[in-house]
Amino acid sequence: MTVPALRISHLRKVYRRGTVAVDDISLTVPEGEFFGFLGPNGAGKSTTIHCTTGIAEPTAGKIEVFGIDVVKNYREARRMVGLCPQEFNVDVFATPRQIVDWMGGYFGMRAAARKERTDFLMERFELIPHQKKSFRELSGGLKRRVVLARALVNDPPLLILDEPTAGVDVELRRVLWRYLQEINKDGKTILLTSHYLEEVERLCRTIAIVNKGKVVREGAKEEIAGTDGLEDAYLKATGAEPDHVKG
Amino acid sequence: MNWIGLFTIVRREISRMMRVPIQVFVAPWISALLFIFIFGFVVGGRIASIGGHRYLEFVLPGVLLMNIVNAAFLQSSSAIYFARFLHFIEETLVSPLSYVEMILGSLSTVVVRSVLTALGIMIIGLVFDATHIVSILGFLFWVVATSCIFGLLGIIIGLWAKSFEQLNVLTVFFITPLSMVGGVFNTVAMLPPWLRFLDYANPFFYFTNGLRGAMLGLDETPQGLGVGLTLVLLAVLGGTVWRLYSKGYGLRE
Repeated sequence: MTVPALRISHLRKVYRRGTVAVDDISLTVPEGEFFGFLGPNGAGKSTTIHCTTGIAEPTAGKIEVFGIDVVKNYREARRMVGLCPQEFNVDVFATPRQIVDWMGGYFGMRAAARKERTDFLMERFELIPHQKKSFRELSGGLKRRVVLARALVNDPPLLILDEPTAGVDVELRRVLWRYLQEINKDGKTILLTSHYLEEVERLCRTIAIVNKGKVVREGAKEEIAGTDGLEDAYLKATGAEPDHVKG
Repeated sequence: MNWIGLFTIVRREISRMMRVPIQVFVAPWISALLFIFIFGFVVGGRIASIGGHRYLEFVLPGVLLMNIVNAAFLQSSSAIYFARFLHFIEETLVSPLSYVEMILGSLSTVVVRSVLTALGIMIIGLVFDATHIVSILGFLFWVVATSCIFGLLGIIIGLWAKSFEQLNVLTVFFITPLSMVGGVFNTVAMLPPWLRFLDYANPFFYFTNGLRGAMLGLDETPQGLGVGLTLVLLAVLGGTVWRLYSKGYGLRE
C-alpha cells in the first residue's frame, strides 16, 4: 500500500481565546491527487492548512506528509510541502526574484540550483519584466504569480494552494489552471481551496467539504456533485439555502 | 545544520538594512561624531586626564558601546516585528529551518550591523586620534557579546510587541537611561559615594568598563566580574529566546 501524500487524523485546533477553528477533521489525500478542500469562510480550511505547514500549532491530532509527522519531524516534512497562501505574506519591499531566491535559500538550495530554478519560475510565470520591481508595485495578478512561484521553488511533491486565484483576472486564472493540471499530470499532489466552484469542478478529482471545523462530505467529485451539480451539493452540505433563482 | 538557510536569513536582513542606510549607519555615525565633539572637545577640554588618558579617549568606548547596543537592539526587534507585521515570518516557519538556525541567523545579522556601526565610529575616533585597542581579543569579545545580549533582548521585544509604539518601550525606559548613567561619561570616583550604586547596580557599567579595559587598559572593576555577568546574561537570554521560539510565542498561531 502506498503512503498518502497527506493524512490528517482527528485534527483539532483551538485558538488561545477559545475559538474552536477545527474540530476533529480527518482526511486522506492520496499521492498524485488533485484534491479540492471546500467550505465557507471560517470553516477551518486555512487553519487546517496552517497546521499542516507549520504556521499554526495543532491542539490535538496527527498530520503526516508522505508518512512524516509534521510536528515530530517537522524539518523533513517541510521539505515535502509548498504553500501558496491566501494572504500575501511577503516582504513587500523585496523584488519577486529576491522573494523566490530567499525561499530557495531557506530550503537549503545551493546558489546555482536556486538561480536555475528562479530563472525557470520567472519565465514560467511571465515575471521576467517585473522581477526587479518591488512586490508592492505589482498588480494583484502578478503578486499571485510571485507567491505561486515561491511555493514551487523547491519543487515540492505536495503543493497546497489556499485560494490561489482570488482576485486574479480570467486570463491568468486559465493560465494557472493549465499549469496546475500540467504539474499534477507530472505527479505533483495538489490540495486546493477555492470559493470558485467552477475552478474546483474543472481541476479536482476528489473533494472534501468542511463546515464549522468538521468534514461534512468527502468523496469523488462526480459522487458529490450527483445530478444537481457541485453548487447545490455544496450549499446543502454547508447548511445554506440552495439558490432557487436560477437563470 | 542548514547553513544555506541560516545565511539566507543574514542575506535577507542585510538587503533590508541597505534599503535604509542613512537610518542604519549614517545616523549613529553622526550621533557619535556629535558626542565626540561635545564631550571630547567642548566639555572634555575642561576635564583633567583620567588614568593618563584624554577625556575624549575615556568617553569613546562608552559612545561606541551605546551605539552598538542601539544598533543590536533595533536590528533584531525591528526585523522580527516587521516580519510578524507583514506575515513574512511565515516564510521561515514553513521552511526546514530549526529554531536554533532562525535565532543564529538573527544574531549573525545583529553582529554584522553592530560591527559595521562600530567600525565607522572607530574611524571617526581615529580622525581625532582617540581610537586605541590594547586587547583585540577583549575588544572583539565585548563587541560581539554586547551585540548578542541586546540582539536577544530585541528578539524578545520583537516577539512581544503588538504595535510600533511597544517596540520603543525598552529603549525609552531602560536602554537609554541606563546607558547614560552606566559610566560612559564619568568614573565611579567622580560620583558622590551615595550615588555610586547607580554604576555598580547597572549592567551597562560592566559592559562600558569591559570595552574601555580592552581599548585603554583602564578598569574600574575586575574584568572577570564583567565577563562572568555577560556570560550569565547571554545564557539566560539565549535560553529564554530558544524557549519562546520552541513554544511558538509571537510566531505561530
